[in-house]
Amino acid sequence: MDRTTSDAPVTVLLVEDDDVILKTVTMALERYGYRVSTAGDGLSGLESFQDGGHDLLLLDVMLPGLDGIGLCRKVRESSLMPILLMSARGDAVDVVSGLEAGADDYVVKPVEISVLVARIRSLLRRAAFTPRETASAAGTPDEGAGGSALAFGDLTVDTAALEVWRAGRPVALAPTELRLLLEFAANPGLVLDRQTLLRDVWDYGWDGDTRVVDLCVQRLRKKIGADRIETVRGFGYKLRRS
Amino acid sequence: MNPTSLRWKIAALVAVGCCAVTAVVGVLVHRATFDRSMRLGEDDALQALTQIEQEYARTGTAPADAMKEPGELPAELRQRLAPPETGALSPVLAGSTCYVEERPGQPWMWAAARVGGQVLVARIEMGPELRSLQALDRHMVLAALAALGVILPVTVLAAELPNRRLRRVAATARRIADGDLDARTEARGRDEIADISAAVDSMAANLQRRLLAEQRFTADIAHDLRTPLMGLLTATELLPESEATDLVRDRVRVLRSLVEDLLEVSRLDAGAEEAERLPVPLDRLTAESLSRLGLTAEVTVVGDPVAETDPRRLDRIVANLVVNAHRHGRPPVEIGVSGRTIVVRDHGPGFPGDLLADGPRRFRTGRAERGGGHGLGLTIAVGQARVIGARLRFGNAPDGGAIVTLELPA
Repeated sequence: MDRTTSDAPVTVLLVEDDDVILKTVTMALERYGYRVSTAGDGLSGLESFQDGGHDLLLLDVMLPGLDGIGLCRKVRESSLMPILLMSARGDAVDVVSGLEAGADDYVVKPVEISVLVARIRSLLRRAAFTPRETASAAGTPDEGAGGSALAFGDLTVDTAALEVWRAGRPVALAPTELRLLLEFAANPGLVLDRQTLLRDVWDYGWDGDTRVVDLCVQRLRKKIGADRIETVRGFGYKLRRS
Repeated sequence: MNPTSLRWKIAALVAVGCCAVTAVVGVLVHRATFDRSMRLGEDDALQALTQIEQEYARTGTAPADAMKEPGELPAELRQRLAPPETGALSPVLAGSTCYVEERPGQPWMWAAARVGGQVLVARIEMGPELRSLQALDRHMVLAALAALGVILPVTVLAAELPNRRLRRVAATARRIADGDLDARTEARGRDEIADISAAVDSMAANLQRRLLAEQRFTADIAHDLRTPLMGLLTATELLPESEATDLVRDRVRVLRSLVEDLLEVSRLDAGAEEAERLPVPLDRLTAESLSRLGLTAEVTVVGDPVAETDPRRLDRIVANLVVNAHRHGRPPVEIGVSGRTIVVRDHGPGFPGDLLADGPRRFRTGRAERGGGHGLGLTIAVGQARVIGARLRFGNAPDGGAIVTLELPA
């Protein structure tokens, strides 16, 4: 569910070193009803994050001190909060290392506010799936309550409680990773191509970047076991049933 | 197996060399042996003749087969025979010898000396000598063949080693040409092959260094251009609606697309772009591309065309072609999709001649009546087509209008 429609405004932590972008993006996002707190460099961004109270991180990649990718990695050590990267360079190295560091998605500057807001909404929709979010929004109607645990070998996915266990131990998944796993769990043993995943999980069309899918699958594999999700060369990925 | 391979050439050379050496040695040995057995045969024949002469001198007679008329002698021997002795019969007469093969395989050595009107003759059979000489020839040929049988395979195997190194150099050079700039031959040694390997390696390293520098430069430029542009773009979105705001927004939009196109061209020029292929339904991609552009075109689809290609790059190509057709041509814009081919056509004045001849060039927008634009769209389309291995052909329809044909690789 979209948090932007609930009463409490969504708080975005924007970390950006360019003053004009910092100011204009803040003003524009506030027009869309978001609350924005800001930081001008990586280290103060990390401090603000540690103070808490944010729903989403919007990070520039090139930051003085600690850069966006380093900050992303630091945040991921302790939090599953959705992270959207803004890159002004847009080359493969930035994108790949950002996504590897745990970012959920990226946009290349310059980006219209409407596009930025669409990405933020899509991310928050995924975040609404996380246990943390469902716990805070108690009473949210879940699909198929009770008897909703699916087992795939040593992996158990509870599609109602949105919890994942591997060999009896709970696995902490970031919102995009969980959303991706649920997509696989809904189609066990079926090959899902990258384009379908990009459309259903990230809300992208053909212009989307399928590297986002590949890198998120890689992160997911690290958490739930490398051989759980098989690569079907030339087509996509599938979840092993047993 | 390539018959012009260096390996077979080396083997042939070695074989020819071996055969030449064997032939020369064989002829020399054959002749030396033949000469020696001739000398021995002459000695034997003359010795036998001497015995007959001594007997003749002592008894005045000789065995019947040792006493011949000159006419009975082989012609060659008759010519060589010393003239008739005059005076007293010396104890030892000078004998003449001759080697005669009376029937094939049955040679004799004759020795003869005139005694009065007659000739004393001694004959030694040379057959065994001839046969042992033939046996020697046969042995030498067999030995040569046996040596070739060993040397040739050894040569072929030995030539395989440098061949393999050369093939590795060639394969590495090909990989570098295909864009794998990390490929190195890593050859050891100090011969010519190691030289050429080292040259290929240093060429690749140089290429890589320059490419990386260019890519870094492009990325830095991108950052420096996009950061203020982003501020500008978001700031204009905050402006209150007015006619002036619309003008500013329009210019920002133009500036932004120019910057993005320039960055795309320089990325394509840097040669660092790599296609990311997946099965793409071409009809769906075309439809989505059009709806994102907000432009109209009559789309004709034949069959169920699916191609293994990079959808983002293909989308860029289709979008640029359609925008170009709308900007410089006249509607209706038609798109035909069939198999692996996408054809975009308009009904405007068509492409100018120099574009058809030289292909699109940046900042060349053709005739003024073809409308505005900075002329990068087709350059980008060509560059992206190269990255996905597709061919882009420009032409004009006989009844007017520009036609661009995009052929995706099989």
